[in-house]
Amino acid sequence: MCGLVCQRNSYARFFFVMYTIFGAFVGVQIRNLCAQESAQESTKLGSVRGTVRYVPNPAKSWRLGRYYIANAKTGELAEAVVALTGRDLALTSTEREAQTVVVDQKNFQFTPETVALRAGDRIRFLNSDDHAHNVRTEHDDQAFNVTMPPGEEHVETFAVGAGINNPYRIDCVFHSAMRAWVYVFDHPWYQLTAKDGKFELVNIPPGEYRLEVVHPAGSLRTRQSIVVTAGKTDEVEIKLTMPD
Amino acid sequence: MKPINRREAGQKAALAATGLLAWLSQGNGALVNGALAQELTDGELVPFLNEPRTPPNRLDWEVLDTWLTPQDQVFSVQHYGVPKFDYDSYRLDVGGLVDKSLSLTLADIKARPKSDVTMVLECAGNGSNDGFMNAVCNNRWSGTPLMDLLDQCGINSATTEIVFFGKDTQEEVLRPGTKRELKVEVPFGRSMSIDDARRLAPLLAYERNGEPIEHRNGAPIRLIVPGWYGVANVKWLSRIECRDRRYMGRYMARDYVTVRGERQGDEVVFVETSVTRINLKSVVARVTRKPTENEKIPLHAFGVAWDDGTGIERVEVKVDEGPWQPTNLDVENRSQFGWTFFSIELPPVSAGEHTIVSRAIDAKGRIQPTAEDDEIALKRTYWEAYQQWPRSFSVEA
Repeated sequence: MCGLVCQRNSYARFFFVMYTIFGAFVGVQIRNLCAQESAQESTKLGSVRGTVRYVPNPAKSWRLGRYYIANAKTGELAEAVVALTGRDLALTSTEREAQTVVVDQKNFQFTPETVALRAGDRIRFLNSDDHAHNVRTEHDDQAFNVTMPPGEEHVETFAVGAGINNPYRIDCVFHSAMRAWVYVFDHPWYQLTAKDGKFELVNIPPGEYRLEVVHPAGSLRTRQSIVVTAGKTDEVEIKLTMPD
Repeated sequence: MKPINRREAGQKAALAATGLLAWLSQGNGALVNGALAQELTDGELVPFLNEPRTPPNRLDWEVLDTWLTPQDQVFSVQHYGVPKFDYDSYRLDVGGLVDKSLSLTLADIKARPKSDVTMVLECAGNGSNDGFMNAVCNNRWSGTPLMDLLDQCGINSATTEIVFFGKDTQEEVLRPGTKRELKVEVPFGRSMSIDDARRLAPLLAYERNGEPIEHRNGAPIRLIVPGWYGVANVKWLSRIECRDRRYMGRYMARDYVTVRGERQGDEVVFVETSVTRINLKSVVARVTRKPTENEKIPLHAFGVAWDDGTGIERVEVKVDEGPWQPTNLDVENRSQFGWTFFSIELPPVSAGEHTIVSRAIDAKGRIQPTAEDDEIALKRTYWEAYQQWPRSFSVEA
């Protein structure tokens, strides 16, 4: 019995030592990577910027699109999610402190309706209505279901960067018309478009990427290949339309 | 007061909007067709100030032009979640104080005599919040009459009320935090007196506007109670029971209970009542304008009024502190329990910010109250929010 315990203890010590060595090695590598990136001059990185526009599909209308498009003729689309995808993006990005974004439930709406986060960031859900609400998601990576009386708040950390194709769809179990989308990325190259449809992703290591754009409220989606060049800003025009 | 038809009331001027028209005319809205698009040029939408976005599956006031609500604007509210079950094995059980109990398949129900009713379905909380003013719709529901079925089962004379249970269930906690706390899994349920059931002629409905009811709206069978708030229209109907004691389930006796102060002499006495009948209500759906003339802006208002089936007698509209003005009521699309469109050309206003509000008057002379009137001001719960609904807008010269 004693021998077995001692044997277990020696295994434990071995694994602890290996874990410490490996951890230190990984830590050094991450620090080296961070140091490399922080030492990079801006000329060694590139950017991509552009405008996302909505193009009407004669075969399928988007009645509620008017909330996201200020000028129907030119179609600049607000609140679209733009992100780089693929190619070990998490490994080439630097870490940053987790941030907290506030999403209120006011007038029976989640505000803002669409949120883009870095993995590890938090959302502080509020309820400013006089009614009871609820925040719920059944996402594969993280599920929660929290009832929120008036004035209540709930903080949720989104640990997993599920990416642009797998958002956390948030709803209220009581009021089915309430909805929000949380996009979580394991890298920093993502953004929501502004009211003028514009976006800009900066400090991207040179290389080939996929640039994906979605608008969850209209189920709009597109992707294209881009090449990021050191010291340059690529300009792109993106058009989204309702799928048939 | 000149009667108008739906075309005038619902389309001609009210939908006209430069921004909205531009949006719709580029194929973004489902409403545009040749004739209508031509009529849309009559005016320009004046957006209400601070109007929250209309979410999907809610009435879209700005583009309302159809008397029957399209499916993508029909609201759904549930309290125990949306149950999942197989329609093939679905059964509706009828029992309690009846001579003969039944267990009906969907086919059994559809094989029975079919009837329909066009009616407003309104969430009892609709109007309690700026963002919750669109949980209302107007639909033609089809199904088989409830009371014919119960009469065939033989209702025992001891029956005082009928209880309706849905397939949605949840654990309820009674007396929480006390020594007598009780947790029990219960189905969603509502009840009505046998007299109400005979008077209102509820349906066991399986179609909405000629199409199968969507699951989120209560398929395969939903109880439809003309003139009563949405909560009484039990979805995913599972069991009907005739009983001789009051049903006191949460959504009959604890929630959806309106607490209201009533003046009795010098005292205010609070009374709790279960939410049932829809109250008299009207809403200005939108305001449109025409070009400025002599520094004044011509306005047109369009809206909707509804009640429990008593009958909309007239609707009046007031701008700012001006007089109440009679509106034109739609004469083409009317039914006892359906909603009624109203429309009015308003005297031109000066540039700046204004408010507009409507009030409905029913066949019994009841007037839709303001938020300051006792019946609303002394109400302590948010259900039955039928107060007048002022809306603000701003116009430029």
